[in-house]
Amino acid sequence: MKAQSLGSVRKSFAPWADPAAKPFIRFEGLTKVFDGTAAIDDLNADIFHREFFALLGASGSGKSTLLRLLAGFEVPTRGRIVLDGEDMTGIPPYRRPVNMMFQSYALFPHMSVAKNIAFGLKQDGMAKSEREDRVADALKLVKLENYGRRKPHQLSGGQQQRVALARSLVKRPKVLLLDEPLGALDKKLREETQFELTDLQYELGMTFIMVTHDQEEAMTMADRIAVMGDGKILQVGTPPEIYEAPRSRFVADFIGTVNIFDGTLVARDGDRLTIETADGHPIEVDGNEERGGALQIGAKTAYAVRPEKLRISASPLDGPNVMSGEVWEIAYIGDMTSFHLKLDSERIVRVSMLNSSRESAVQMTWGERAWVSFEPNAGLVLSA
Amino acid sequence: MTVVRSGGFRRIAIGLPYLWLAVLFLVPFLIVLKLSLSQIATAIPPYTPTFDDPATWWDSLRQLTFENYAWIADDPLYLNSYLISLRIAFFSTVFTFMIGYPLAYAMARAPEGWKPFLLMLVILPFWTSFLIRVYAWIGILKPEGLLNQFLLFLCVIDQPLVITNTETAIFIGIVYSYLPFMVMPIFASLDRMDPRLLEAASDLGSPPLKSFWSITFPLSLPGVVAGCFLVFIPAVGEFVIPDLLGGSSTLMIGKTLWMEFFNNRDWPVSSAVAIILLLILVVPIVVFQRIQDREAAK
Repeated sequence: MKAQSLGSVRKSFAPWADPAAKPFIRFEGLTKVFDGTAAIDDLNADIFHREFFALLGASGSGKSTLLRLLAGFEVPTRGRIVLDGEDMTGIPPYRRPVNMMFQSYALFPHMSVAKNIAFGLKQDGMAKSEREDRVADALKLVKLENYGRRKPHQLSGGQQQRVALARSLVKRPKVLLLDEPLGALDKKLREETQFELTDLQYELGMTFIMVTHDQEEAMTMADRIAVMGDGKILQVGTPPEIYEAPRSRFVADFIGTVNIFDGTLVARDGDRLTIETADGHPIEVDGNEERGGALQIGAKTAYAVRPEKLRISASPLDGPNVMSGEVWEIAYIGDMTSFHLKLDSERIVRVSMLNSSRESAVQMTWGERAWVSFEPNAGLVLSA
Repeated sequence: MTVVRSGGFRRIAIGLPYLWLAVLFLVPFLIVLKLSLSQIATAIPPYTPTFDDPATWWDSLRQLTFENYAWIADDPLYLNSYLISLRIAFFSTVFTFMIGYPLAYAMARAPEGWKPFLLMLVILPFWTSFLIRVYAWIGILKPEGLLNQFLLFLCVIDQPLVITNTETAIFIGIVYSYLPFMVMPIFASLDRMDPRLLEAASDLGSPPLKSFWSITFPLSLPGVVAGCFLVFIPAVGEFVIPDLLGGSSTLMIGKTLWMEFFNNRDWPVSSAVAIILLLILVVPIVVFQRIQDREAAK
């Protein structure tokens, strides 16, 4: 993956980079306290029109609470939410221009599929004939044309998920909220549905906000991801930004796998820093103005490198950052092989290797000596 | 993985409940049915035939008649009794529902930690004898009782209200006694409901009151139906409450049956009264369940 332009997956869609763009949803100092604990803590963020925005975090990070605040199920303790220029404070859920797709789907068990989908339209007092047209369109959209008369319990999990989606889309809300939308689906179906959802979002031109704990799902689907922890947004960025330029140790560690070398800055030559790791290995890395530029000699710092950016070899390697150790674990995954290398200092380094030829995977085995190296620009100096 | 089960064990496991049903329900029913087709006799037991001697079974069988049923059909006393019972049971069920539903709703929406306590309060009356609780109502409702004294004290009334020995007293007694049977199933169905459904309804634009009628109430209907059956069926045959609180003016079928059995010692006629009561109750329930099954199968 090229890391030069850390842009959006969708080419040329980047309203967040445009200072003149008006945010569609704005969280201003949003705080929600439950029993003395802040589930959302002074949170500020902007989300733009037609954006697919993912809230990514572990359970208890506050991502679901944020979604529920937006839907109106929870009332903020402090701060406010502005949606399309309108302050949402004091507006009950049933008058908000947002619809939610629930994690458990929350389909009405006593109503047929068609009635479930028509429910929201009925609340708006839409005429029956128009309602039926819209329901038929929605069923077609989720490819369930012939299932309108079924009851929810007569459908499979994947079909129920589609009904829930149709029901939340049919009112054409300004914002669609998706709470772990694919959580209950099996892997294969989940992958299919991921692409369907992004296509749908693009076609409908709606703003989607999705809560997920699955980073792969967030990376696949979202224009931007907000990584959440302890009720705060730790970093907002496009998937490549989040992965290649995590701003903190937490984000680097949370997204994907990473080797973090803690150490001390011992020398500086322009942008080239020398860090002595805690186990006494000097490593030469690139720092720049933003990352490591302000560090003094002797300061504690850390360097993060993703496993796929390390080279591994059964014979000694040349280069700036070479370490050697014993092959401790090997996991052959198919498209790649993942190694855990135990350095002489007992430290484990993770390396993954793309199996670009059929023989490459089998050259190293447990207990053998191996060498790893990485380029000075392979990783990032972490500020925290 | 295959689980091998012995067919014999399975048959016993399934058969045992049927055996219970047969011994505890079918056999007594058949005995009462046979009694209802017998004739009154001055003997012990006071009916004939008795099927004592297997040799005369065929003769005995030919002695069975539908005379008792004809007798019941001829005398408007019985028809009136049935109608009064059905009317009182119906309105009692309606009143119990009107009081029980909000009660069950409040319990189901109470904080999780309170629910066991609230449930215990509903069950608490069962720890005292039913008969004593009905007697207690006489003390409350009689002209010089607690209720009248209290209302006189408040100057709401200047003459004691006559409640005992009226239908009002029967209603109060039935509603009080059967309230838990209404509250429990409704509470169970409301408590089971996924609160997300109401959030979803609200999210789709339905205000709370509307959501109650479109989501909560329909989903609590199985509980409501169960509660109504549990109140209506025993209320139709209720004997103690009309006897103690209703006085002699209201002749419910339970009391008629009692009188036939104990005062007139007419076991066959009282058995016929019981069989007809059973049919009045069972036939509509079976029809109702058929309709429900057909709805569910749709």
